[in-house]
Amino acid sequence: MGSMKEDDFQFSMTFMGLALEQAKFALDNLEVPVGCVIVEDGKVIGFGSNRTNETRNATRHAEMESIDKLLEQWQASGLSQSEVAEKFSKCDLYVTCEPCIMCATALSILGIRAVYYGCANDKFGGCGSVLSLHQSEIKDVYRGFKCTGGIMSSESVTLFRNFYEQGNPNAPKPHRPVKTTQ
Amino acid sequence: MEWKIIHVPGRESNPDQNATVSVVASNVEPRAANNLIRRLSVMVPLENLHHVKRIRRSTSYGKVELSVILCLSVDEEDPLKGIPNDVLELINEYQLHPFISRVPKIAASSREEWVQQCVHWPTSYHPPANLDEINVFNEEDSKAILGFMTLAIELTKSSHLDNQVFNAAIIVNPSAKVIVASACDQTDSWPAKSVCAEKTNSNDTLTVSNGFHISDYKQNGEKSYVNVACLNPWSWSQHKPHTCSSPVEHLTTHRWHPLKHAALVAIGLAAARDRILFLVPDQPKDQSVESGFSSITSSVKRQKTEVSKDQGDVDSETCIVSHVKCLPSVSEDTSRPYLCTGLDVYLTWEPCTMCAMALVHQRIRRVFYAFPNPDAGALGSIHRLHGEKSMNHHYTVFRVSVPEDIF
Ligand SMILES: [Zn+2]
Ligand SMILES: [Zn+2]
Repeated sequence: MGSMKEDDFQFSMTFMGLALEQAKFALDNLEVPVGCVIVEDGKVIGFGSNRTNETRNATRHAEMESIDKLLEQWQASGLSQSEVAEKFSKCDLYVTCEPCIMCATALSILGIRAVYYGCANDKFGGCGSVLSLHQSEIKDVYRGFKCTGGIMSSESVTLFRNFYEQGNPNAPKPHRPVKTTQ
Repeated sequence: MEWKIIHVPGRESNPDQNATVSVVASNVEPRAANNLIRRLSVMVPLENLHHVKRIRRSTSYGKVELSVILCLSVDEEDPLKGIPNDVLELINEYQLHPFISRVPKIAASSREEWVQQCVHWPTSYHPPANLDEINVFNEEDSKAILGFMTLAIELTKSSHLDNQVFNAAIIVNPSAKVIVASACDQTDSWPAKSVCAEKTNSNDTLTVSNGFHISDYKQNGEKSYVNVACLNPWSWSQHKPHTCSSPVEHLTTHRWHPLKHAALVAIGLAAARDRILFLVPDQPKDQSVESGFSSITSSVKRQKTEVSKDQGDVDSETCIVSHVKCLPSVSEDTSRPYLCTGLDVYLTWEPCTMCAMALVHQRIRRVFYAFPNPDAGALGSIHRLHGEKSMNHHYTVFRVSVPEDIF
């Protein structure tokens, strides 16, 4: 994780603020409060928030949501695979919580330029907490991305606390017998 | 080679498995042993050797002999060299005759290893918690497992186009032996999805007939695995630009997607099925009950000052405390499964880290795959995600070895 210059810092505070707004949107919708924005040339070109409860698909993380929307948009405008790859290599992601191992791999696959995140993800984090996929090197080819954590992390953590207070409507109910396992 | 189901442990059997470290030990009088060990464990605890028992009991010429580890050795030639002073005092006090012995450097990861270790010096062994899941397939189970694995491979084969093959994923309910969802990679622009989706649509056939990629990889009639998404996750950007000679293609968006690996697609289908089968949303009453209890748990949570921050994996552990006793059972809940709890997945190739983590998120119970993924595999090859202790869900992983000429 590199250190940031002063104006870079201001920059990232602004974008993280927007990511936090996305996280609040998720919270209002009874979703796990994680949000993100994707930035190209100092402009927000994509955003997303967690939708795992609504979709009943635990992979619908904020990052995946925003990536899918962008991919759809770019393909609709006729961009090819290599052009899309070129696009991603100029994009930065601001996300309120350290990307999990799944999302960190996805970001590496897409070849995103940099990731800025809020709080760490001790259990599933793919950018240093559990695995360090942002430093990937496969067959001597660098597949990582620049990664900086801890930006406005207390705000992100507060949202998680609020979420627990309101309760997760989709948390497993342990009392319920699961038929398939017996 | 015949079919075989092999457990893939979450922890690598260490290459250091046979490594030993040398220690200074001594035979002791049985009546002094307890006292001596108590004093030694305070004086010189054996850091990093918690699996090694401090005392060894052996029989020599019909006589029981007790040996105790005094401390780590510094010099294999000279047991007394570098010994801490307080240990030296003990040696004098108890009239000990130190000698050098060797003990296993790391804990055994299997029962077999443990038996082997104990030949030299006794160690302790803690079998993994999910041992019941492993190697207990009866004939019927094995038959079902091999059957589903064959189906996954068949799916891979049927996705062939110009000798390209794709990964396949089948999510299965093992107790009912039914397929919940199945999919192939949809990373690329044309063939896989048509074959794997429920029906082939004419658009895809059109694309195929454009001649895109024909003969590009047809070399010596060999199959090409470049398009197996999990094997080669980064290759998507090098795929040829999409030539849109067919007008139909302009109408359809999302024709390729770098992240639509078979496992992710299958999870999406399973989730969609879940939404359709269990349409009724959580009743407001239920939610209010739940949020009431959750506020109790959240205060517990705060005391622990630890917040689980995974997006799909809101920690249910602390919630359990309140729900188990208090929550009245809601009939709707008894039938609706939580994500893919209790379900198995069959993959032709070992998943990459993205797919392996997705399967953790979706709470898959067991993962079966046929072929390893040497450059990017997360369940045995590069990583062993299922052995990461930090996670709140762990599936069991098996490799099903299949005849090599299966393709
Ligand atoms: Zn994620
Ligand atoms: Zn994959």
